[in-house]
Amino acid sequence: MRANSLAFRLVVGAGMWIAAAIIAGGIVLSAVFRDHVERSFDAQLLVYLDALVSVTEGDNRGRVVITRPLGDPRYEQPYSGWYWQISGISGPMLRSRSLWDQALTPDFALISPSAATSYQMQGIQSRQLRIVGRDVSIPGIVSSLQFVVTGDRAAIEAEIQNFNTTLAWSLGLFGCGLVLAVFIQVRFGLLPLRRISMALSAIRSGRESRLAGQFPSEIEPLASEINTLLEHNEEVLERARTHVGNLAHALKTPISVLANESGARKGSLEEAVDKQTGIMRRYVDHYLSQARTAASSSVLGARTEVLPVIEDLRRTLKRIHAERSIELEVHGDPDTSFRGERHDLEEMLGNLIDNACKWARARVWITMGVEGTELKIAIEDDGPGLAPEKHDEVFNRGHRLDEATPGSGLGLAIVRDTAGLYGGDIALCESDFGGLKVVLILPAAEKGEGQEAEKEEPAA
Amino acid sequence: MRVLVIEDEPDLARQIAATLEEAGYAVDMAHDGEEGHFLGDTEPYDAVVLDLGLPVMDGLTVLERWRRDGKDMPVLILTARDRWSEKVAGFDAGADDYVTKPFQMEELLARLRALIRRAAGHATVQLDCGPVVLDTRGGRVTVDDVTIKLTAQEYKILAYLMHHQEKIVSRTELTEHVYDQDFDRDSNTIEVFIGRLRKKLGVDVIKTERGLGYRMSAPEDSGGNSGETPKGKANKNAG
Repeated sequence: MRANSLAFRLVVGAGMWIAAAIIAGGIVLSAVFRDHVERSFDAQLLVYLDALVSVTEGDNRGRVVITRPLGDPRYEQPYSGWYWQISGISGPMLRSRSLWDQALTPDFALISPSAATSYQMQGIQSRQLRIVGRDVSIPGIVSSLQFVVTGDRAAIEAEIQNFNTTLAWSLGLFGCGLVLAVFIQVRFGLLPLRRISMALSAIRSGRESRLAGQFPSEIEPLASEINTLLEHNEEVLERARTHVGNLAHALKTPISVLANESGARKGSLEEAVDKQTGIMRRYVDHYLSQARTAASSSVLGARTEVLPVIEDLRRTLKRIHAERSIELEVHGDPDTSFRGERHDLEEMLGNLIDNACKWARARVWITMGVEGTELKIAIEDDGPGLAPEKHDEVFNRGHRLDEATPGSGLGLAIVRDTAGLYGGDIALCESDFGGLKVVLILPAAEKGEGQEAEKEEPAA
Repeated sequence: MRVLVIEDEPDLARQIAATLEEAGYAVDMAHDGEEGHFLGDTEPYDAVVLDLGLPVMDGLTVLERWRRDGKDMPVLILTARDRWSEKVAGFDAGADDYVTKPFQMEELLARLRALIRRAAGHATVQLDCGPVVLDTRGGRVTVDDVTIKLTAQEYKILAYLMHHQEKIVSRTELTEHVYDQDFDRDSNTIEVFIGRLRKKLGVDVIKTERGLGYRMSAPEDSGGNSGETPKGKANKNAG
C-alpha cells in the first residue's frame, strides 16, 4: 500500500480515531474500576470498624476492653498495614497487635465517620493506608472514644495494576483487530477501483475494447464516461486513419501524372522529378501500410478462415498471371483459421502468393496447417529460388532483387511487419520443388472459437 | 483497335490518351462513370481502361452493369486501391486486369496490349499472317522480315484485321474500331486505306468479300498458317 493512496488515507484515518477511542475508553474503564475497588475496600474497613465498636466494652472498673479478637489474622501480624486503635482524651488506649510498638496519629478533623480517606502513616513502617474512624460513646466509659481502622493500600494497587495490564492488552488487541477490519473493508470497498484499473490496462494491451461489467453506483458514471471517451478516441483515430488513407490514395494519381509527364522526356528537371516521385511513391506505400496495420491491431476476437481467403486470391491471381497459366495447388487442413482480421491475412497471403507466382515456372504450392497454437502457411514455387545469403536482403525496405519484376519491393517487409503485429513471423528457406519456400507463422484460432468471425467489409 | 479510357483526373486521362494514341489506338475518353458506362454500352470497344473512384457512378458499378448486360470487352482497372480484397472484388466484378497507381505508362501499355491479344484469342505478342508479321510491342510490321512503314491509320486498320484473322470484318466495324467517336467517319476512306495497305504489303492477305467487308487470311501457297498461332511457338515469346 503506497503512502499516497486512498487505502492508505482511509486506514490511517481509521487507525487514528480507533487509537483515540481506545485510549479514552481505557482511561475511563480504569478509573471506574479503581473507584469500584476502593469503594469495596472501604466498605470492608467500615465493616471492621463496626465490628471493633461492637466488641468494645467498658469493664466494671471503667477500663476499655476487647471481648473478642477481630478475626482477621492480618490484625495480628506485625506491620501488616492492617491496624486498629482506640484512643481516649489522654491518648491511645488500645491497639491491634499488628501495630506493635507504633501508634496511629491521624488528624481526626480529616477523618469522616462514614467514608474512608487516604492516610500516610509516619515512621519506620511508613506506607500508604486507607483509614476510617469514628467517635463512639461506650456504656460504662465516661468520655467518648475514638475508633480508627486501617487497611493496606498495596492490596488495592496490586489489583488495579493487574486490571490495567489486562485492560491494556485486551484493548490493544481489540484496536489491532479493528484496524485490520478497516483494512479489509477498505480493500473490499476499493476493489471496483482496482477492477477499473485492471480493465484499463486490458484495454491498453488490446485484450478488451471497453470497460466491461457492472460497477458500483458511485463509479458507474466514471466507467461510462471512460467508455464514452474511448469511443470518441476511436472515432478520432478512425477518422485520422481514414484521412491518412485518403491522402495516400489521393496522392497516387498526381504522382502518376508527374512521373508519366517526366518519364517521357530527358533532362535534369525530369530526372529530379523522376527521383522524387519515386521517393513520394515509397512514402505513400509505407504510410498507407502503416495506417492499415495500425488500424487492424486493435481488432479483438477476430477470426478468419484461411481457405476462403486463399480461394479468393487464387481466383484473382490466376487472372493476374493469366499469360503464364500458373497452377496454384492448395494442400493441408481446410479447417484452419487465423486469429486476426481478414484484411491482414489477405494482404500477407496476397503479397506472398503473388511473389511466388512472379517467380514460378509453372506451379505454386500452398500448404496450411496448425501446430499447437501456431498457424503455418507455406508458399513454395518451382522458380529459380533465392540464395540463402540473400534471404535477409529481401526484407529491406524498398529493396528489389530483380528490378524488372514489378512490385515496390515493400511486399515482404510489409508482410513481416503485419505478421509481427500478431506476434507471428516469416521464414525463408529452400523449397523441395527448387524455388523459394516462404513460411508464414501466425496465431491460430481454435476451432469453434469466436463464431462472430470478421466478415469481409465491402471493398470501398 | 479502339480503347475507352474512363478517368476523372484530366491530366492523367490526357497522358493515357496521348500514350495510347501514339501506340496506334483510337481513344475515347470519359470523365465520369455515367458517361463511361453509356459509351461502353453503345460503342464497340476493343478494351477499356477503367478508374474505380469515379464521380456520378462508381467504376465497379459501371463494370458490373456492363457484364450483366452481356458486354464482354476486356476491361483493365486502373486505380489507387491496392488492397488484395479490392483486387479480388475488381476481378470478381468482371475485370480482366488490374493496375495500381502510381504506374508506369509502359506497364499499362503492355498489359493493355496483352489483354487485347488474349481477347482476340492470340497467345503471343507477335501476330503473323503468312509472311506478314505484326509485333504488337513495337508496333512494327514486317513482310518476309522486311520492315514496312505504315501511317497511323494504316497501322490501326492492319492491327484490327490481324487480330481478327479469318473473320469477315465489315467496313462499319472497321470504322468503329479504328476511329474514335469524334472522328468524321466516312467509310469510303477505309477503301482508300485498304488499297494503300495492299500496295505496301505487296502480298495478297486482305481479301474483299463482296457486299460484306474484308477478310484477312494467309495466302494459300504459304500453307495457311494463320489465325491461332501454334502453342509451341507461343511459349518461346511468352513472359
